[in-house]
Amino acid sequence: MSLSYARDDWYAVAMVEQLAEGRVLRSKLLGQEIGVSGSATEPMVRASGALRPAELRYDHVWTTLSDAPRPLFEIAEAAEDDRTFVPCGPVTVRCSPLRAVENFLDIAHFPFVHTGILGEEPHTEVRPYKVEIRDEIDEVWATEIGFHQPQAAKSATTAIETQYQYRVPAPTTAVLYKTCPPKPDAWDVIAIFVQPETEERCIVWPWMALYDDVTAYAELVQFQQEIFLQDRSILENQKPTLLPLDPRMEIPTRCDLTSVVYRRWLKRKGATYGAMTKT
Amino acid sequence: MPARAVALSRDLPPKRVMRADVEGCDIAVWRDPAGRLHAWNNRCPHRGMRLSHGFVRGDKLACLYHGWHYGTDGVCTYIPAHPELAPPDTIRTEVYRVAEKDGVIWVSVSGPAEPGGADGATVPLRTLSVATDEVRALAGFAATPFRGAEPQQRETGRLDLGARTLVVHANPVGPDETHLHVLVDQGADLADRKALSRWCEAARTTAEAGRT
Amino acid sequence: MFTLYNYVLSGNCYKIRLFAALLGVEYKIISVDFYPGREHRSPEMLALNPAGTLPVLTAGDLVLTETQAMLTWIAARFDPSETWLPRDPEGLATVIEWLGFAGRLTQSAGLARLQAMLSWPGDSDAAKAAATEDLRRLELALTDRVLEGGLWLAGDAPTVADIACFPYVALSPDAGLEHEGYPAIRNWLYAIRGLPGFVTMPGIHYLHDVPRGADG
Repeated sequence: MSLSYARDDWYAVAMVEQLAEGRVLRSKLLGQEIGVSGSATEPMVRASGALRPAELRYDHVWTTLSDAPRPLFEIAEAAEDDRTFVPCGPVTVRCSPLRAVENFLDIAHFPFVHTGILGEEPHTEVRPYKVEIRDEIDEVWATEIGFHQPQAAKSATTAIETQYQYRVPAPTTAVLYKTCPPKPDAWDVIAIFVQPETEERCIVWPWMALYDDVTAYAELVQFQQEIFLQDRSILENQKPTLLPLDPRMEIPTRCDLTSVVYRRWLKRKGATYGAMTKT
Repeated sequence: MPARAVALSRDLPPKRVMRADVEGCDIAVWRDPAGRLHAWNNRCPHRGMRLSHGFVRGDKLACLYHGWHYGTDGVCTYIPAHPELAPPDTIRTEVYRVAEKDGVIWVSVSGPAEPGGADGATVPLRTLSVATDEVRALAGFAATPFRGAEPQQRETGRLDLGARTLVVHANPVGPDETHLHVLVDQGADLADRKALSRWCEAARTTAEAGRT
Repeated sequence: MFTLYNYVLSGNCYKIRLFAALLGVEYKIISVDFYPGREHRSPEMLALNPAGTLPVLTAGDLVLTETQAMLTWIAARFDPSETWLPRDPEGLATVIEWLGFAGRLTQSAGLARLQAMLSWPGDSDAAKAAATEDLRRLELALTDRVLEGGLWLAGDAPTVADIACFPYVALSPDAGLEHEGYPAIRNWLYAIRGLPGFVTMPGIHYLHDVPRGADG
């Protein structure tokens, strides 16, 4: 494992709306006990008792254990005021934070795990798409992904051919840009911010920035929760718990190109907190 | 290492898959539509998903995660994401020995799946999980009276309970958990079997309290 | 026709969605942001259900706030075959016995799940110990049924008792309570998942033994 790389990143550790005077949200970050308190204007994060930086971004409180962190990534759509922003609430999963991200980048499981929503038989084929490491920004991007979806979004009324782009701006964050049914010239944004409690346990903070004036807010939240909780039972049953980086340990096929590049990128950077580096 | 009892045959019908732990190995045990048993490393070679969460379709076991199908020889036959692709036969899961005798399924992770002793005069009663080690679990059973009769242990795992005879096959599935597969003599009627099922619960309580 | 105030991750709400699907009864869903929004404690929801719990079912002037009462009402109202809610005294009482047990499961296995998954407050060891006791009790009863050559909790066909006990047992692995040591429970869960018209909730997957989908 590489704790040193992971310490230099920022992590979501609370939703802004969870903050209330006097209440302390306790969890772990990279093995350390942390507490989040304060108010929506002045959040406070303590790690092992010591104050850490606390930034408000994307409806969450972010912190870092480093005194010289890498900058927190930008999601430009967060500045578009006509979007609906939906922090979906934290979910604890007994799995490596990297397994949670990798699953989010995968579409081939849709027909079996998100049956009737994000996929269904016989539409199981994954056609070729593009994946690259964009060195100038140090991010993984997968583009030109198309998939048949029975109900791509709460706003979708029929099955559609959905277009996807995935972006990995940090080892424990994945951002999806997805066909927006009511606004064909824009992308819906769905992200997961993963808080690594330990290498084998994480808290996932799903967040969305959507164009949808019609659907009730509660339905938007629950649509995403339904999908993510379908994944949780998978994530807790992958072995080993840590993500293997040795390509001999898990056999990829063509549709797994995003995963292959993600794992290669992690290995190259030494971003191996939550990864299995030896067999 | 010896074979271990993992289930009563009755409890794994055709087209079903279950998880078993044998000597620290996580195993998927499944029965194909023809009734034949298979015991595999409980891990899809693709992404490590437990195959015991999968589904039996035709004579294949498929992984729940991405639907990869595996034939009865453990070799991948179908990858739904690439329907036209013939998977290379290097994509295979490790296959273990499995045998069935006198209503009990036995799995071995090394060597032949030689079933343990049990004469043919027994019928399946039930499986139960006991939260203690194998020795204490069996000791609890040997120390719990049934209808006033003290158990007489003729050999490990074979108990005379008054007019009834029980065979108990133990499988330690963790440091503090043992699965017991219990069979009873053919003379036991339905009332006896239900009473013995409750006696198993009392014996478990004894075992877990360490009152041996 | 009725209205269900629903939360998608609630096992109790799922009982109603599942039973309605099995009977082919149509209904209207109103989503309530139980988590993280705590909308079930909003003034509007408390006016409807002072207990502040979900689900809530309304039909005309009828307002039901107890899940097991909703199952009973749906069976009595929409199942002319009377198999889901037997009317013979012994069958009816056995079903009601298990409806009571289903309420206990919410407090044991259901609570353990919320604690493991959504950081719910409380003593998770205590909830898991209570859930193990309940799973053992259910396994004993279902073993009786197996020894009798049966399968369902009450009688020879599925009843609302099976529906009421199904979700929190099926979802117990969400709290780390696996089903390996409970073969009778395992086969009973499988049978429920195989019922015609079965629908899922997160954590409970389709059997997939035959292809599903628009043309399947």
